[in-house]
Amino acid sequence: MLEKREFEKSDFMWRLSTAVTVVSGIFSVIVFVLLAVNYLQIRAVDPIDNEMITQMRIEYSELPEQDDALAKRIEELDLLTRKAFFASQNHLRVGAGLLLVGVCVFLIAFKNMIRWKPELPELAEVPTADREFLAYAQSRRLITWGGVTLLAGGLLVSLLTESLVAAPAAAGLNASSAQVTLDGGVDGIEPPIAVAKEYPTWDAMQLNWPSFRGPGSSGQAHFTNAPLDWDVEEGRGIRWKAEVPLPGTSSPVVWGTRLFLSGADEQTREVYCFDTETGELRWKRTLEPFEDTPAESPFVNAETSYAAPTMVVHGDQVFAIFSNKDIVSYDFDGNLVWGRNLGISDNHYGHSSSLLAYGGLIYVQLDQVEEGKLLALDAPTGETAWVKKRDWISWASPILAHTPYGVQVILCSEEDVDAYDAASGKLLWSQDCLGGEVAPSPAYSNGIVFAANEYAMASAIQLTGSADAIQTEILWEYDNLLPEISSPVGDGERFYFATSYGELVCLDAASGEEKWVEEVSDAGFYSSPVLVGDRLYILDKEGTMYIVRAGAEYEEIATRAIGEETFATPAFMDGRIYVRTTAHLYCIE
Amino acid sequence: MMKTKLAILVLGAVLLSATGAGAIELKFPPPDFQTPYGLPDLYNPPPAAGFGWWDTVILFGALSLATWFVFKSRSRRGLFLLSIFSVAFFGFYRRGCICPVGSTQNVMAATFIPDVGVSAIIVSFFVLPLLFSLFFGRVFCASVCPLGAMQELVAIAPIRISPALERVLGLGKYLYLGLATLGVATGAGFLICRYDPFVGIWRMGHSFNMLLAGGAILLLGVFVARPYCRFLCPYGVLLGWMSRFSKWHLDIPPSPCVSCRLCEDSCPYNAIDMPTPEHLVEDPETGKRRIRAYVFLSPAIILAGAFGGYMMHEPLSRLHPTVQLSERVAAEDLAIYQEEILESETFRAGDQTTAELHAEALAIRGSFKKGGAWLGAFMALIICLKLIGLSIVKKRDIFTPHKETCFSCGRCYPYCPVEEAGATT
Amino acid sequence: MSKTKKFDRRDFFRGTAALAFTGAAWGAVGEKTEGTVWQLDPNKCTQCGRCTTHCVLNPSSVKCMNQFNICGYCDLCFGYLQPGSRARGTGAGDQLCPTAATKRAYIEHPYYEYLIDEDLCIGCAKCVNACLVFGNASFYLQNRQDVCINCNECSIAKACPSDAWSEVPASQPYIYLTGDKSTTI
Repeated sequence: MLEKREFEKSDFMWRLSTAVTVVSGIFSVIVFVLLAVNYLQIRAVDPIDNEMITQMRIEYSELPEQDDALAKRIEELDLLTRKAFFASQNHLRVGAGLLLVGVCVFLIAFKNMIRWKPELPELAEVPTADREFLAYAQSRRLITWGGVTLLAGGLLVSLLTESLVAAPAAAGLNASSAQVTLDGGVDGIEPPIAVAKEYPTWDAMQLNWPSFRGPGSSGQAHFTNAPLDWDVEEGRGIRWKAEVPLPGTSSPVVWGTRLFLSGADEQTREVYCFDTETGELRWKRTLEPFEDTPAESPFVNAETSYAAPTMVVHGDQVFAIFSNKDIVSYDFDGNLVWGRNLGISDNHYGHSSSLLAYGGLIYVQLDQVEEGKLLALDAPTGETAWVKKRDWISWASPILAHTPYGVQVILCSEEDVDAYDAASGKLLWSQDCLGGEVAPSPAYSNGIVFAANEYAMASAIQLTGSADAIQTEILWEYDNLLPEISSPVGDGERFYFATSYGELVCLDAASGEEKWVEEVSDAGFYSSPVLVGDRLYILDKEGTMYIVRAGAEYEEIATRAIGEETFATPAFMDGRIYVRTTAHLYCIE
Repeated sequence: MMKTKLAILVLGAVLLSATGAGAIELKFPPPDFQTPYGLPDLYNPPPAAGFGWWDTVILFGALSLATWFVFKSRSRRGLFLLSIFSVAFFGFYRRGCICPVGSTQNVMAATFIPDVGVSAIIVSFFVLPLLFSLFFGRVFCASVCPLGAMQELVAIAPIRISPALERVLGLGKYLYLGLATLGVATGAGFLICRYDPFVGIWRMGHSFNMLLAGGAILLLGVFVARPYCRFLCPYGVLLGWMSRFSKWHLDIPPSPCVSCRLCEDSCPYNAIDMPTPEHLVEDPETGKRRIRAYVFLSPAIILAGAFGGYMMHEPLSRLHPTVQLSERVAAEDLAIYQEEILESETFRAGDQTTAELHAEALAIRGSFKKGGAWLGAFMALIICLKLIGLSIVKKRDIFTPHKETCFSCGRCYPYCPVEEAGATT
Repeated sequence: MSKTKKFDRRDFFRGTAALAFTGAAWGAVGEKTEGTVWQLDPNKCTQCGRCTTHCVLNPSSVKCMNQFNICGYCDLCFGYLQPGSRARGTGAGDQLCPTAATKRAYIEHPYYEYLIDEDLCIGCAKCVNACLVFGNASFYLQNRQDVCINCNECSIAKACPSDAWSEVPASQPYIYLTGDKSTTI
């Protein structure tokens, strides 16, 4: 009944089992390596989605006529990959079986090897009286240390892992005091709008010209008393004319009696503050490189310039961004408040999207090829309040829309129009309606968002639904004439836009009906139209201002030449127009 | 033929109307056949019959047989052959499912989560080995558990590791049990099944990593016997607790021990306690003071453990797929990842909003706060109990197997000279 | 350790433990004793292809099925033919199915019947997706219960991105199409 361990030797059996052990061991290792290699190969080469065959099939289906030779080639390749795949599968199966057998043989032989060359048990030293006690003491120590290690390791791990859901902080860019990433603020996080009191109200913003195309980038001037008659050559109606030290396509912004402008060349980036009364340059600041500022400015298209984005005024600060993504803030006296670099530019014409500000946040639309994002920066500190991933590139600027569903920041990209909650950054809706390289910003008026781009379509997006679930629907589409650079504007009943070929277009907001089309300029429009009361002001590339009636019928009011090349959109403030040409700044009264 | 067609159509109509799919829009209307044609039957084979209660019967039989080999015939060879059977049947033939180790989770799930049931067969798989353990020691581990049996079979040249190291590594199985419980209670899934190292071998295919892990554990097991059982097996913890109080247990010499120490040498599991020396090396008062200190300190230790576990809730919660997804989506929204993975892509195409997902994830994380604290307290409690246990030196005259850690594998049987004497006389 | 020993405190403890244990465990069974099996809801399925790769079985226990009362019996079946396949042949090269598991049989002009050879099907859902996008969406995936070994934690269920997998009562082991499935992928 009881089998005893036999302390006997057998040299022959030992030799035999040793040999079998070695052979089966080597065999198993080889089979294992082959199996692993085969497995990894099968994983890498998926016969179901063979790229080459897929490519050939596409080619084949696009051929105008039946190509029997190609069909045959596809068939042969297909058969080959299938064969290879099934052969590999078979190898795997056979290999696994062989490995199992090999390992079994190895184990049995190994056991026999030990059995037939038994060594008498080597007992440990004669137990001393305290051996067990020492083992206990050692165990206690080790277990204590084990427990401490577990606790310390656990705490360390918990410190090292940071949840993006609960604490969105440090993960976003260089930010350290991020507040809101949660869509909708799940964790009861106070949206930064709470500090809006200290920032100008919408009314105050409308009395000024704080950003590109005016308040909220709407293209609508609050003051309707803009001058109609002036003459640059005679100096009639020209209050002052000033030189702008460095070039740039960015537009002037105005707050009170201060006009701000940015200019840059490849090496130097500057911010200017002019007195609106006299045209005197109050101060000029040259940016020092920030920590992450790249040594060389990224490439920009000549027409884009190194200072294409327009500045923004918010509170008692001004903000400027340049093509190398340096963003800077000065107070009204030119003292640096903060500045930082927002990372590498991956944009083949150069960064051109203008800044927008509302409720203590500065919105930066960084749409580019890789790592595109929409940033909301805390105005006083420049730290990232929230950041949203953007999938597509664009050169358009964000606009602020006061919709019945709340204040939205609306962006155009290569594919779609997206709206974010101005405070929390929650993506509210997204409409796929654009295409191509988008430069015109969207326009909002009366519940309708209008977005258009050359090579795509002009679409009117109607917002419906409830504030919790905003629905969008395409009201109409129009593709006869389309803007390329110039942004559209709406007056509630109609949308107006200007093309690069010099046409002005008016569409009915409700139906999309073409109200009128007028080819007014030979030079074409890059600057955007501004709605001043019932008049539309627009500058063409050669610096001629066309003033037409904003209405259902086309009516020319006036044509006034500035006579200098112009890309920027002028600013309209209480009876004055501020025009930036490539070389000068004009104040027209 | 027509009858079948009619039946299928009726079935189809019932299906469609029952699910409110009357509005189903077919791009291509089903044809109105001119020739006699009946829609083929939907072929829906019932679940593979499986073994049903036969599984339980076979388990019971194997346990009884193992008990008989351990107590009556005292046959290492019998246990060895039974191991081969268990590996072949429960392992390769039944492909590792159903197994008592995994059944722990089903029972826990039924206990923790309302509306989750567990079938009686699974409960029988959970309870039977524990009951046997309560009366006969860990005979299940000896040769019935396919995982244990597999490792027992490959443990050919085992080395002994120091008892202290054995004990501290042994904490691993308590941690695994705690984590598995946490996983079940929070709905993160069945960790024991997910990281079962041998299931890939039973099925001759699984994820490459798990196959590698299984192979590595077996290779290690040739030299360090039963690494999974000793340092990881969560069910082993329960079996050990039962076995500690077992009514009968394997003992080495049925007749008086001659203290030859051969058995101690034969045991690769450090599971044989030696007789205590006649003279204690330590002043008994010091020992008593130490125990008092441990008992006194244990509430603080347990609290510290609970605190540590609570602090761990964030990393721990990533065991849960919803939390993983939520983190991924948040990271993508922060533009940390440029590429979407299949999970986040599917989520974004679905109806659930990001806010809802995050809210759900935060709720789950909340449950991990509580669970993490319990896990930490449990580990601290185990450590306290171990420390107190290691301060009590029991009086022993002969070599005795340690009832909690002994696998009843019978390796010591052939070594005991007394046994031979007993058998021949 | 003698078996003739009197019933002592330890025995009492053991007996109580055994009873409590068994009782608690059976209590957990309660009325919910019916076994469950794993199944995927084809109405939630997004045809990601993981059923093919994540099953512990090779080939997977997930197979394609055709719900004939929805099927349009089309001649140009996108679930059957490669896109751009000109000849509409029955050769493997013209078929969408990577394992040629979809079988086509002529019924009458212009209708063809499509059956799935489940021994060949690997559950890749290519045909399901094509039929969903271009056709009536009559193809759908199901876990074949005669093949499935019903793991305690289904590997596919764990990997499924659309949460389509769940444990269903063994007496109703299949989930049919309801027709309200989203056409977005």
